[in-house]
Amino acid sequence: MMKMNPLRSRRAEWLVTLPSLLWLALFFAVPSVIVLAFTFHGHTPNGGVGEWSLSTWRELVDPDYPVIVWKTIRVSLEVTVWSIVLALPCAYAIARMGRRWRSVVAGAIMLPFWTSFVVRVFAWKTMLHPDGWLQACYLAFLRLRAWAFGWLPGCGGQVDPASSTILDSEAAVVLVSVYTFLPFAIMPLYTAAEKFDFALLEAARDLGAKNFYAFRKIFIPGIRQGLISAILMVFIPAIGSYVIPQMLGGTNCVLIGNKIFMRAIQNRNIPHASALATLMAVSVLIPIACAMWWRRSQSARDRKRLDAETARLMTGGAS
Amino acid sequence: MNNDFLVFDHVTKRFGALTAVDDVTLTINKGEFFSLLGPSGCGKTTLLRMLGGFERPDSGRIYLEGRDITDLPPDKRRVHTVFQNYALFPTMTIWDNIAFSLRLAKLPKAETEEKVDAILDMIQMTEHAWKYPDQLSGGQKQRVAIARALVDRPQVLLLDEPLAALDLKLRQHMLIELDAIHDQVGITFMYVTHDQGEAMSLSDRIAVINRGHVEQLDVPAKIYEAPSSRFVASFIGDTNFFEGTIESVEGDYCVIDVKGFPRIKAYNDKNLSTGQKVALSVRPEKIRVTKARPAPEKGASINVFPSVVQDIVYQGVYTKYWLDSADLRISALKPHSRFLLDQETITWNDPVFVWWHPDDAYMVEVR
Amino acid sequence: MKRSYFSLAVLGAVLAFLYVPILLVVAYGFVPNGISMSFFGADGSFLGFTGRWYAQLFAGHHAVRALLESFWLSLTIAGLATLVSCILGTTAALALHRWRDRLQAIHHALVYTPLIMPDILIGISLLMLFVACRVECGFWTILVAHVTFCVSYVTMTVLARLEDFDDRIVEAAYDLGAGPWYTFFKVELPMLLPGIVAGGLLAFTLSIDDVVITSFVNGAGTNTFPTYVSSMTKHSRNLPSVFALSTLMLLFTCVLVGVSKLVSGRRPKGVSNNTKKGK
Repeated sequence: MMKMNPLRSRRAEWLVTLPSLLWLALFFAVPSVIVLAFTFHGHTPNGGVGEWSLSTWRELVDPDYPVIVWKTIRVSLEVTVWSIVLALPCAYAIARMGRRWRSVVAGAIMLPFWTSFVVRVFAWKTMLHPDGWLQACYLAFLRLRAWAFGWLPGCGGQVDPASSTILDSEAAVVLVSVYTFLPFAIMPLYTAAEKFDFALLEAARDLGAKNFYAFRKIFIPGIRQGLISAILMVFIPAIGSYVIPQMLGGTNCVLIGNKIFMRAIQNRNIPHASALATLMAVSVLIPIACAMWWRRSQSARDRKRLDAETARLMTGGAS
Repeated sequence: MNNDFLVFDHVTKRFGALTAVDDVTLTINKGEFFSLLGPSGCGKTTLLRMLGGFERPDSGRIYLEGRDITDLPPDKRRVHTVFQNYALFPTMTIWDNIAFSLRLAKLPKAETEEKVDAILDMIQMTEHAWKYPDQLSGGQKQRVAIARALVDRPQVLLLDEPLAALDLKLRQHMLIELDAIHDQVGITFMYVTHDQGEAMSLSDRIAVINRGHVEQLDVPAKIYEAPSSRFVASFIGDTNFFEGTIESVEGDYCVIDVKGFPRIKAYNDKNLSTGQKVALSVRPEKIRVTKARPAPEKGASINVFPSVVQDIVYQGVYTKYWLDSADLRISALKPHSRFLLDQETITWNDPVFVWWHPDDAYMVEVR
Repeated sequence: MKRSYFSLAVLGAVLAFLYVPILLVVAYGFVPNGISMSFFGADGSFLGFTGRWYAQLFAGHHAVRALLESFWLSLTIAGLATLVSCILGTTAALALHRWRDRLQAIHHALVYTPLIMPDILIGISLLMLFVACRVECGFWTILVAHVTFCVSYVTMTVLARLEDFDDRIVEAAYDLGAGPWYTFFKVELPMLLPGIVAGGLLAFTLSIDDVVITSFVNGAGTNTFPTYVSSMTKHSRNLPSVFALSTLMLLFTCVLVGVSKLVSGRRPKGVSNNTKKGK
């Protein structure tokens, strides 16, 4: 609007745009293109990049890769579900607190991030270690169960400590992933819940809805935007997860991230690493595109549906 | 070009397909309190921003004391703005906010201090000098914004809806204060508002703006009593319109044939002749409502029409009536001089008479 | 309401879940047996706490030399990355806020996409760039990588602050006779400073904590604190020192945040009673 402001001239625009634009073009856009280009190359035995060919994409059919891609998606979905299930009541509880408590608890949720991520994962590794106390608890639980219910069919009699470790299992990866990503799920849900008008829940209760019914039909649709953000905030880093399966999954939980690292650094198969990275980008972009499309098409309808739901309750239709 | 103080000369400004300001020509006198009054989106703020230097007109020129300032950037013209949300610098104290323009002008320190202190004293904010803007109330921020714009004595002070963010009581108080400040500094004020009450009470002259052009430019009383168009009549206050054709002319008066209504007698201020179409505006406060038919006055006839009361809104100072008379609905105001003792009470569905003097109608539109 | 109690119980459990590892980090910093990471002897007796690991850290004992080196490297890189990304991020935010044209649409896409991509993709693609350009990986490649992912976060933080402002404040400065540079340094920059500081803090935390991207572009032998830790095994002898160092970092950040809260909370009252005339 301010055409005469010298700081708004075309020259000024280029002056403030160029530094970041060039940096990100050079170190983000160009590398992405290079990755894509490398997938259309073969690899040479000495770790270099070979001629243009489709061999890399053909080799991706190797049963190993689809299994890993599917496993990554499955584990990520599992982590997402657990995180959301735990985060929803938390967000609800924080949003219903007094203003003072709210900021204290929200701060407390984020505080663990001031300790190094790797160190926290290492603390888990120590806890879950076969010599550690969690493993001891786990074994004790297994033994107790064997003692109490061993006579029932299917509950196993003997506990084999060597085969019942938590560390180096998929369960450990899911557990620590949930631990790491949970705050990312709580925060968007909490911000959405904070803006939610809780009088709506009271109105629903007043009109005869059961607690859980009101929670499901009024609260969840009311914080839908936050819910989508929370799902993406967990699902995307879970897909890209590398450190947690690396440190806690051992050979039992190798995900795409680990495979990319292996191919890129350990066996120097650059085209394969590139192709896997491309696959990962696609599996991240699909849910994002869906969410964006959904958000655009629904934001108006969303409100209407919520209104309709409330209206239905207010006319005594709660069942 | 000419010796007038501030001139908008055929100024036009478009934003895409929208013509915000359409060929406006205005002359403002030195020292005047001049208001631009109009509904939101009528182009009054654009006019102000062009004077401030924040927009450049697509065509036309703006002259200030004979000098063409159309293309000068905002920092090169001695025209300061009081913004709607005050736009005080949040990282500076009140004192520093006010001293801003003096420091830029590289005034000697002693002189800066003297001027800032003087104006702080004028707006009675001396004790708040070292506070930050977010520690002040709305009215205080408003006064600081005015002081900041006035301290280096600009040629024109622009005020962009300065009272819009204040509550009613404070607004009334600030109106009086603004008037006093204007009297004290003697600088030309150009005031933009959509509130006719503010414009009426402050201005020497008002320009009523609609859809990018000036509908009427006059002193407040003329704007109210003699609106030049239907728009002005309905935007400034409330009014009843009667559309019809001149049936006959009798001396200074004429008789108008209104569709779905009895004939109306009115003062022929536009000197119309028989057969011309006209729209007549009658303000609600000019219309009287009584149960008894009024006795005709000596020497003059009045318009008297039987009506039925449809709605009554008691508003303290007066009561507002909506009445059905023939096919039309009329609104009328009745002040309370001796409430409940004036006359017998008028209530819903009462048959009453509405009446007004032919001189109290005003012709606003002729086709 | 019953539901409230249920959700409060979940919240309590989640908080415990989040804090147990943190408490363990603190506790392991005092563990007497660094090999078994246990407070108990073979006979089950309690061995007590030790300050040995802290002493080693402060003395710069040769056993923890590599750890300390990686830690200083992390600090250096985080500091430099913060500085560069604050400059790039601030200019980017100014550009994105002021103009809404095609150039800024591209600019915005470039700034926004790194935020939604898993960081491993930034790591692998930068590695590919360095491979393609035959650049030796080391200190500089790590710094470039860190700046790249920090810029977007700083930009978004500063942009959020910019969007909160009334643009009329800048116009007011022009209106009162200020030129573009004067307005930028005297009016805009002071207003933006809290946003830049917040963005810088975020960038610093992200940089000092990053392991994924760094492990792609660090090359052989250059280890930051996180990559050093991730390469350790449970029976590494320096493990308690790592936990001790992390405890110190946690303590430091807590103190820093506490002080900043105290300072920012006090400002308005402090100036309101001030009647002195300055300058």
